Amino acid sequence: MSGFTLRLKAPATERLTLSGITPAKLSALSALEIARLPVGVEKGGVTLGDAFEISGSAGDVLTLEGATAELDYIGHGLDSGTIRVIGNAGTYAGRKMSGGKLEIHGNAGDFLASGSTGGMIHVRGNAGDNLGGMVQGDRFGMLGGLAVVEGNIGARAGDKMRRGTIVVRGKTGAHTGSRMIGGTIWAEGGFGPEPGLMMRRGTLIGPSVEKLLPTFVDTGKHDLVIVRIISRYLKTVLGDLAPKPMPLFVQKIGGDLATIGRGEILLPAS
Amino acid sequence: MSKTVNGVVIDDTFAEAFGMSGTGIIITADTLKWARIAATVATGFGTSVIGCGAECGIDKELSPDETPDGRPGVRILIFGFSPDALVPQIRNRIGQCVLTSPGSACYAGFKADKTIGLGKGPRLFGDGFQTAKKLGGTRYWRVPVMDGEFVIEEETGLTTDAVGGGNMLILGTDRAGLLETAEAAVDAIAKVDDVITPFPGGIVRSGSKVGAKYAGMFASTNDAFCPTLRGTTKKTELAPDTLAVLEIVIDGLTSKAVADAMRAGLKAVTDIGAKRGVTRITAGNYGGKLGQHHYHLKDLI
Repeated sequence: MSGFTLRLKAPATERLTLSGITPAKLSALSALEIARLPVGVEKGGVTLGDAFEISGSAGDVLTLEGATAELDYIGHGLDSGTIRVIGNAGTYAGRKMSGGKLEIHGNAGDFLASGSTGGMIHVRGNAGDNLGGMVQGDRFGMLGGLAVVEGNIGARAGDKMRRGTIVVRGKTGAHTGSRMIGGTIWAEGGFGPEPGLMMRRGTLIGPSVEKLLPTFVDTGKHDLVIVRIISRYLKTVLGDLAPKPMPLFVQKIGGDLATIGRGEILLPAS
Repeated sequence: MSKTVNGVVIDDTFAEAFGMSGTGIIITADTLKWARIAATVATGFGTSVIGCGAECGIDKELSPDETPDGRPGVRILIFGFSPDALVPQIRNRIGQCVLTSPGSACYAGFKADKTIGLGKGPRLFGDGFQTAKKLGGTRYWRVPVMDGEFVIEEETGLTTDAVGGGNMLILGTDRAGLLETAEAAVDAIAKVDDVITPFPGGIVRSGSKVGAKYAGMFASTNDAFCPTLRGTTKKTELAPDTLAVLEIVIDGLTSKAVADAMRAGLKAVTDIGAKRGVTRITAGNYGGKLGQHHYHLKDLI
């Protein structure tokens, strides 16, 4: 498996933007052109070659070694191939991704997978706020694809999310699925307080909710075919990373009735 | 030159079949019993495109491991003249017969680049309460119904390379023995994937010729194969001792599947052989000018 490796030379003194730096793009450029790609955000005009040791050759895997939370927009616009991040990622990782795979062997910052339409993101550690959430100026949050976080995540995950699936092995922060329009968020460790604030449609699945909003109503216990389909789909695409299937019967909490109320929170039926 | 296998004469002729459009649909339910019921009803009145609009049947039963929702299921196939002719057939059959069946769900049963709407029509029964769930590249519709939710995939695969009208005619001197032999052939064909035998129990007793003396009749009785007309019609195909003829018609998603099905059916008949009164096997054709697909019996035994 050939490909380039970028190793951060020294702790970043400013935020670095890796927007558009994908395996396909680097493979089409010469070594000189790669080194000259701008990554700085301040006046100095820091280039990729200034900040990183570049090694390897063209291929469909790009490895970022020694990555820190100062590296923003990792995997922005990724459409094919794999980006492997050894360390942490900053804000906006996987933004507007449409295909390929982004592996983060550490923690991810805020707005992971914002506006993404496809592909797979796998975070070994935790992720910040607004995972799959809407960035100001966009119309929607996540629009497709799959994001898996093995740790915990921050607040407002799936804000204005329209499609796609987020799987969290740990717990979520407050207001998961706020303003959600569609898609699925499965939190194996349970939801923080007040999930689904102003959600229209979409599905939140988990074992527990810290505190429900008063605009959500219990619609009773059901054995929903769609939950079986979601479980099977996740088992197929994620293998061992897939969440454990829900029990046959789930408690469906419908809302947010402050909107059209077609959203749902599915909890194990007690 | 005809051939004789185990006492059964096999004519040196061919079955002439036509190009069709076809699709597959998986129907699941809480139990196999209810999946079968929905599938049987949805494929009812689907023997011939001439009068039914589509030719339909059950291809096979699926174990829980083989279905998208982990429940027992049945795969049905629907064939029509064209993709446009299939649209109302799928909408009406699924809408009236599967949507209405307790605990049912409905999925694509055929993967292909070309697709045709499956849940596009039936979802509207939800009257705005329906919601979609897109997982990977597949969109499912969830339509609230009185026993929970009817889940239906938005699209299923479509082929325009399907084949309709693969056939064999089995002739015999004993009606009961002939029927049992034909049943054995249908059972053998049922084990072949991607094919159906759309007629009642897979067997046709009213083989037809093209046209009729009456205006507006596209097909009429195949008098050359009617034993009670032997000697009284211009031309009879039957030997003096032939008492009955049964036909098996096969539709398949591919030409190979139809050939495999005919091979399986012929083998089942010749394995039983003459002891149950079967004397001869032949096939229906129109001289080879109408259908694109020819299946020569001698190539299949």
